[in-house]
Amino acid sequence: MALPQMLSAAEAYLEEAGARRTVLPVIQPADPFLDMAGEDLRRRIFLTESETGKALCLRPEFTIPVCLKHLQERPLEPIRYGLCAQVFRQHRDGDSEFFQAGIEDLDTEDAIAADARALADAAGLVARLRGTGEGLHITLGDQAVFAAILEALGLPGGWQMRLLRAFGQPDALANALNVLSGREAPAVTQDSRVADLLSSGDDAALVAHIEVSMAGSGISPMAGRRPEEIAARLKERAALAATRLPDDALAALERFIALRVPLAEAGRALTAFEGKAEIDVTERIELFAARIEAIRLAGIDPGTVTYDAAFGRPLDYYTGLVFEVGLEGHERPLASGGRYDRLLTLLGAERPIPGVGFVAWLDRIEVLEAGR
Amino acid sequence: MSGGTITLALPSKGRLKEQAMGVLRAAGYNVREPADSRQYRASVEGMDGLEIAFLSASEIARELGAGTVDLGVTGEDLVRESLPAWDEKVAIEARLGFGRADVVVAVPDCWFDVRTMADLDDVAAHFRAGHGRRLRIATKYWRLTQEFFSQRHGIQVYRIVESLGATEGAPAAGSADVIVDITSSGSTLHANDLRVLDDGVILESEACLVANRRSLAGDKGERMGQIAASIRAMVSETA
Repeated sequence: MALPQMLSAAEAYLEEAGARRTVLPVIQPADPFLDMAGEDLRRRIFLTESETGKALCLRPEFTIPVCLKHLQERPLEPIRYGLCAQVFRQHRDGDSEFFQAGIEDLDTEDAIAADARALADAAGLVARLRGTGEGLHITLGDQAVFAAILEALGLPGGWQMRLLRAFGQPDALANALNVLSGREAPAVTQDSRVADLLSSGDDAALVAHIEVSMAGSGISPMAGRRPEEIAARLKERAALAATRLPDDALAALERFIALRVPLAEAGRALTAFEGKAEIDVTERIELFAARIEAIRLAGIDPGTVTYDAAFGRPLDYYTGLVFEVGLEGHERPLASGGRYDRLLTLLGAERPIPGVGFVAWLDRIEVLEAGR
Repeated sequence: MSGGTITLALPSKGRLKEQAMGVLRAAGYNVREPADSRQYRASVEGMDGLEIAFLSASEIARELGAGTVDLGVTGEDLVRESLPAWDEKVAIEARLGFGRADVVVAVPDCWFDVRTMADLDDVAAHFRAGHGRRLRIATKYWRLTQEFFSQRHGIQVYRIVESLGATEGAPAAGSADVIVDITSSGSTLHANDLRVLDDGVILESEACLVANRRSLAGDKGERMGQIAASIRAMVSETA
């Protein structure tokens, strides 16, 4: 299928899937992207400035603009937005404009059903555009399982956050585990006065000392980090420095990260893991198993899906399911998606609004098919 | 002689200029300065195929990248900052041992709890929840900062605030929380109550002899190689 046919086929698929066809402006305010995805994105987006100095960019993706639209229009019911358009990103070599098609499902309460539908639609769209579902392979991960395990292991809150942040980045995660297990342990502070105040337990004196230092440097306690905040983190770090990740917890986490099994066996593998680690994450495993069932009912053969326990995205708003649809022997995914329940809150939603979505890379599919 | 005149760019003023000329002289290249100090070209005694161009250090990095000069003396920080994919365009032929300065990550002294990049990662991750905005970094080194924070340390959630001068004053002015800046002795940072993180040295920079790779691969390459070799030999002798 050539690209123009592919675009019509994608639009037809989105309509059949019941998504609301949505057109987003090509030119978008740049700040939400830089704020949410971070400065690293700056190298990859096409930035420009309005006449009044406002930072603008060419739409690098759909999720953030769709969420902003949803927040602005405040619809009363859940909406599944159907997108089919170009996105623009700089690559050192290769193209910088891509056609993508996908669905962003906002505010659907039944997360299991919405997850399964997103996965089925992603695989269905790719199969439609290729003319066949053969050879497709899905990799699936779920940060919520990792989060539940961290909690069940009884790790301190600060450690849980740190490990969660590193989830999906193998090097960073290994590094964090090294530090927490005491294989590398930097001291809390190099300031002896602060160290004394910390060990004396006099919180008021500690805060006062930080206030004096801050004032002495001419830094306003209102402009950024507050003295209380620095004192609280010092105390948290001091408490953590006195303990270390127990060997059995470390072993359990390393075993979990290495888990990679066919989805059909994932429930059993997680239960076996739970037993061996002597923790209770049954509730989360049941939710995971229910989603496997929902995925099966949505028409996906679990035999084509691999559960990779360590698979995640290094963005703080992806909170649960992530997946990629690819073809055996090809590294780059043809579609990818995930659940981003934290994104709308970060963008200013007054109440929690769940979201899950995916996009398919039409150009990649076209190149692949042309080469067949 | 083949390939035409080689252009060697030198810093146009100050200590860097004197030191660069000194290194060249010691290596046997005596730069004949123009009588008119507004003149930005010069020649080298007894060297017909070599021309000197005086430019600002940051211009030298850019022109080396573009290939409008063949060789140049400039800071490694400027090469890495101003040229995307710098090592595909230029090659560092010699480290000259002067103009030493580090590009560093520095935080206010009163951030007693932040010693390492891992600490800063922690603070950055919670910043938005506590302050309604991302952690702000003041710097004129956009590229080096992004590479160090995003690629090396996996820190994604921060914003860069462009700083065109007096970066060290940004935390006190309230325009940024931390800075990435260049420092030679650390005294400016110290005077502004800023502290370099234990693992916060992004780059140990010094003045370098840098060559454009296309020129190196072309007809002038052999003669450029000879110039680089004699400067390298001189530097290692005096080191």
